[in-house]
Amino acid sequence: MIAMFRAVLYSQWKWSRLIVVLGTVAAFAIPLVSLQGAARADRGALQTQDLLRAVRSWGTLYPLLATALGLLMAMAAWAADHRGRHIHALTLPLARWRYVLLRFGAGFVLLAAPIAAVLIGSSLAVLTATLPPGLQAYPIALAVRFAFAVFVAYAVFFAVSAGTARTAGIILGVIAAAALVQVVASIANIDVNLFAAAQTVLLLGPGPLAVFTGRWMLVDV
Amino acid sequence: MSRLLGLVVAASLLASPLRSQDSLMVRLRRQADSLLGSWREAQKLADVADSLEQVRATAGSDTIAVGGLRIVVNPSPLPWRQAAELAWPVIDSFYGIAAEDLPQHPYIFRAVDPDTGEHRTVLHVGVEVPWDLDLRATTTVLLTTVTAPHVDPALADWLGAALRPTVRPQDERAVVFVLLVTAPSAAVRACFLGDIARCKDVLQVGDSTGLLARWYVTPAEREALVTEAFTDYFARGATAPSLQRCRQHHDDACTALLESLPPGTLPPPLGRSARILLVREALSAGGRDAYRRLVARPSAPIGERLASAAGMDLDSLVVRWRNDVRAARPKPLALPWWASFAAIGWTAFFGLCALRSSRWRL
Repeated sequence: MIAMFRAVLYSQWKWSRLIVVLGTVAAFAIPLVSLQGAARADRGALQTQDLLRAVRSWGTLYPLLATALGLLMAMAAWAADHRGRHIHALTLPLARWRYVLLRFGAGFVLLAAPIAAVLIGSSLAVLTATLPPGLQAYPIALAVRFAFAVFVAYAVFFAVSAGTARTAGIILGVIAAAALVQVVASIANIDVNLFAAAQTVLLLGPGPLAVFTGRWMLVDV
Repeated sequence: MSRLLGLVVAASLLASPLRSQDSLMVRLRRQADSLLGSWREAQKLADVADSLEQVRATAGSDTIAVGGLRIVVNPSPLPWRQAAELAWPVIDSFYGIAAEDLPQHPYIFRAVDPDTGEHRTVLHVGVEVPWDLDLRATTTVLLTTVTAPHVDPALADWLGAALRPTVRPQDERAVVFVLLVTAPSAAVRACFLGDIARCKDVLQVGDSTGLLARWYVTPAEREALVTEAFTDYFARGATAPSLQRCRQHHDDACTALLESLPPGTLPPPLGRSARILLVREALSAGGRDAYRRLVARPSAPIGERLASAAGMDLDSLVVRWRNDVRAARPKPLALPWWASFAAIGWTAFFGLCALRSSRWRL
């Protein structure tokens, strides 16, 4: 089983190494860039708000990067199978669920690189910066949040990619139907807000995308 | 003879401006008296109008009395009595024995239907509230609209906001913590780091001479204040060249411009919420009689009044305030425990969806 996993991991690495390398570089660079200028010794009281503003602005890139990594890695994991119409996978002496599990696990292993890059980049940025008194750095919390966001995004897109065109059609159909109902309700002046409800379900509380919301601050009070 | 005549003419010439000056003074005084009379008359008319308006606003209303609270309300499903029973202990503990004077300031509320567009008579007394508020919201309305007893103009000016009990004291402290850390002022930062004299400066409870130098210590701060907050004010007329020089990093120009501001217009580097929190500290330290001591001597400096209310010297009060603020650091930026479990759960869920995909069966 370990040999099989190694083989799947190797093939997946070959297909997605560009994504992994670029994602890792970006994940390493964002924390460093977000704290640029914080290392200056002459940083006065005036710059605290500027620093927080810069960290907040750059912080919006973490969830975007996590989403992009999850999407591209999931697509890369299934692209070859889709192209070969799954014939290679069918020839393997392996149950379907095990094959999918190996692909799923290989993706997680490869995604460990950008997650580690966020942790290392954040720690390095914090170590080299002179933070104003009262501000604190959260490199580990940021890396943990990034890891969860990457994993959720990868799992969502992996599930969609693993499905058939029919599954994708059903998902798109549900979204289109919701949009249609919303438009009709607006025209009929009926007090229905499906998008707000969907937003609440998806983004708030224990929703699947809740980990993407909130403040992604490497440095905060 | 001609000399005598000359003296008489000279004396009359010298006296004429004095006489005209005297008549000017009389005329001005008459005008001032007339204005004062008109103002008093207007005041009387306004009092009559207020009183009539109050009668109109409270017609057909009930009065609910809980402790020192008097709530005049129109019939509605709002839970006023229960809300007053919840609000009264909070208000009583905040104002202490001064809360006994609250019946002089009754609340006047008019509950209205929030969903109707029906035309209503406009009232100039009291507050309109929607009648679908729950108990918590109604209690909050009572706490946030209570009239602070005996607040004098000096205290009101210094505070810059009404002095009322807070619904969320911890949040208020956290706000002040963020202000202390992020305010663009070296004086505020020094206060955060433990310089109590600086804290007194930025709270404006100590020596109030030379506020500009005390509040905005560095030339960069003064330049930022002029170029960010007062650009429009100084951009026209005689101050425009000085503004230009200030922009070119000439501190003397920036300082001169800021010193030319009318008294009381220099913005304090620390937000008003810090001052309100200081008063809360004083009241909490001083016991039930603290509020009465605070408002007892309106002419005394604010620092003395706060010290008297708290029953301790001002430095100790400021130290206590700073320690409380520092202890109220906002929650660290970590994911809540349930969010981690939710993320793992959703990852597993979508993984399972992928495992059960139908492609293998094609």
